Amino acid sequence: MRNHNLKRQLNAIALGGVATILMAGCAGGTETPPVADRDLGTPVAGVVADGVFDGVTLTYAASGGIFQDGQRDAAWDPFAKISGATFLQDAFDAGKLKAMVDSGNVTWDVTNATQFDTARGCGTLYEEYDYSQVDISRVPEGTITDKCMVPNILYGLVLAYNTDAFGDNPPTSAADFFDTKKFPGKRTVSQSPYVDPQTVEFALAADGKNVNDVTVADIDVAFDKYRALGDDVIGWTSGSQAQQQLESGEAVMGLVWSGRGYGAAAAGAPVAPMWDEWMIMVDSTAIPKGVKDPQAAFAAVNFYLGAEQQARMTELTSYGPVNVDAKPKVDATLETWLTTEHLKTGIAPNIDFWVENYDALSAAWAGWVTGS
Amino acid sequence: MGRLGYRQLTGMPDISTLRDRSKGSGRGGATAKQVREPKNWRPFLLLIPAFVVVSFFFLAPLIDVFYRSISDPTLGVQNYVWLFTTPTNMVVAFRTFATSLLVTVVCLLIAYPYAYLMTVVSDRTRNMLQLFIMLPLWTSILVRTLAWLVLLQDTGPINGLLEAVFGIGPLPLIRSTFGVALGMSQVLLPFMVLPIYSALAKIDKRLLPAAANLGARPVTAFFTVYLPLSRPGIFAGSVTVFILGLGFYIIPALLGSSKEIMMSALMYQQISGFLMWGHGTALGIFMLATTIVVLALVGRASKGTNLFAGRGK
Repeated sequence: MRNHNLKRQLNAIALGGVATILMAGCAGGTETPPVADRDLGTPVAGVVADGVFDGVTLTYAASGGIFQDGQRDAAWDPFAKISGATFLQDAFDAGKLKAMVDSGNVTWDVTNATQFDTARGCGTLYEEYDYSQVDISRVPEGTITDKCMVPNILYGLVLAYNTDAFGDNPPTSAADFFDTKKFPGKRTVSQSPYVDPQTVEFALAADGKNVNDVTVADIDVAFDKYRALGDDVIGWTSGSQAQQQLESGEAVMGLVWSGRGYGAAAAGAPVAPMWDEWMIMVDSTAIPKGVKDPQAAFAAVNFYLGAEQQARMTELTSYGPVNVDAKPKVDATLETWLTTEHLKTGIAPNIDFWVENYDALSAAWAGWVTGS
Repeated sequence: MGRLGYRQLTGMPDISTLRDRSKGSGRGGATAKQVREPKNWRPFLLLIPAFVVVSFFFLAPLIDVFYRSISDPTLGVQNYVWLFTTPTNMVVAFRTFATSLLVTVVCLLIAYPYAYLMTVVSDRTRNMLQLFIMLPLWTSILVRTLAWLVLLQDTGPINGLLEAVFGIGPLPLIRSTFGVALGMSQVLLPFMVLPIYSALAKIDKRLLPAAANLGARPVTAFFTVYLPLSRPGIFAGSVTVFILGLGFYIIPALLGSSKEIMMSALMYQQISGFLMWGHGTALGIFMLATTIVVLALVGRASKGTNLFAGRGK
C-alpha cells in the first residue's frame, strides 16, 4: 500500500536526520596525537633539516593578496619542500583567532598580526616565543616589541602624493597633509574596522608632538584634526581601496601603507612617497595560543627569517625585509618605496601607551569610522 | 487510496481521507477523532531535516550570541548599557533603518511598473525581462559594487561627462547616501520585482475594464481595485528588501563614506577589530529585536494579507 511506502520514507528521513546529528557530534571529537620533541640543534635563520617535519601540516594565516602570496613563495613553500611538511594558507581574522583559542581548537600555526595585537594578546591569544628555537640575531634592532612576536615585515604608514598635482612643490612634513591651502584636493586616510594608533600619532606628529608624550586627551585632538579637513578628507576601509583612490586620482594625497603606495606607483600612477616624516610599522609573526606543534611552528618562523627568504619576500611584496643581511634586487620604483632606506626619519610607535589605553582609542576610533 | 496531497499536508480533510475514516470507524468502534490523530502528525516528520538544520546552524548559535551578550566579560547587562549610552551606536542604528527604508521605497517605485510590464507583454518578452532581473544575481556583489565605484567616483566617466558636457563640477555620486542607495537598490531589486510580479500575475485583468464599466476612471480603478489586490506582493517584497538591506556591509563601505557606514560594520569592528564580543553580540541582538518589532508592526498594518505566500485572497 502507498501509505506504507510513505511511512517507510518518512522513517528513513527521520533516521537520516538523526545520523546527521550523530556524525556532526563525532567530527568535533578528533584528537591529534601528542608531538614528540625532536632534536633540531641550534637554530640558524633560514635553515631547516631535510625531511624533519614529514607528515606535519602547518597553516599560515595572513591578510592575503600579493603580500601573502609573496611570503608563501619566498619562505613557506620552500620550507615545506625541504622539511617535508605541508604548508596551507588561510585568511587571518582576529575574531576567528579568538574563537579558535576560546574553543581550544586552534587550526593555525603561524599568523601575521600587528605589533599592537600581539602586545595586547600576548599570553592570552598568542603563544610566548621560545627564542632558543628561533635565530633572531639578524633581525633589525628594536623590531621585537613583545614576547609573542618576531617581526614579519618592516613597512610604514606614509604620506603618498600625486606627483602631477604636487611634483614641483612636494609635501615635506606631516603638517602638509593638513594644509589644504598649500596642497588643495582630497586626501585619504584609514577608516578601516581595525584600530590604527599610528594614524593618530601621525596627526599628533603634525602638531609637533613627540609620540612618547601622548596623553589620552590627545586622541580626540588627533581625530578633530582629521575632521577639520571636512570634505577634503575621504576614508579607505581596506588597503586595496587606498591604492585604488591613489591610482584613480580620486585622492591627491593619502596616508597609506607603503606597499599600497608602491602598488599604485607600480601600476603606473604618478604617486610618490614623502619620507621626511613617516610612521614606522612592524607587523608581528605570531603563534596562536594552544598551537598543536609549537616546535614545527618555531622552525618555520626561523626559516622565514633567513636572509635569502627575506630578500625574495621583499622582491615579491615590496615590504621591507626583517633580516639585516637581506640584499633584495629591486627596480627603481620599488627602491623609492623601501622603508628600510629611510629608518632615520621614521617615527616608531608608542606601543605601551596604546596597549594601556586601548579602550579609549577604540571608542574614539569607532566614532571616527562611523562619522559621528 | 488517496495520494498525500496539499490538503493532507495542511491538515484539511479531503474526500479520500473522509472515505478512509468512515471505513476505519468500523474497526473496534474507534471514534473519528481518534483515527484522525495519527494521520495528522506523521507529515510533520517531513519537518525534521529543516528543524535539525535550523536548530544546529541558527537557533544554537543565536542562543550562544544572546548568552554572550549578557555574559561577556561578566554576567550582567553592561553590554546593553554600553549600547544605549554610546551615541555612535544609536546614530548608526537609526542610519541603518533609514537607509534600508529608503532603499525599499526606491526598489518599490522601480519594481512595480517593471513587474506590471511583465504581466502585459508576450511570453517571449516576459522571459527576457525576467532574465534582465535575474542576470545580476549571478554576478558577484563585490564585482558589481566595484563597477559602481569606478563609474561613480569623482574622476569616473559619469562625472567626467557631466563636467565636459554640462560644465558642472564633480557631483557627490560616491561617498554619499545617493551612492549607497543606488548600489543597494540595484542588488536588491530582484527581491522586490519577483514577489510583486507573482502577485500581479494572479490579478484578473478583466477587473479593470469591469471597474471602468462601473464608471471608475483609470486612476480610480488602479487605486481602488488593482493596487489593493497587489498588496500581498508589495508587502512580501518590501519586507524582504528591508530586512536584507539592514545587513549590508560591503556596499556602504565602498560606495559610502564614514557617514554612511551601517550596523554590520559596527558589529564587525567590535567582533574582529576590537575583540569585544560582548559589545558585538549585544549589537546583533539589538538589531534582531528591533527588526522583529518592525516586522510585527508591518504585519499588523498588512493584516489580512498573506505576507509570504504571494497568493491573492
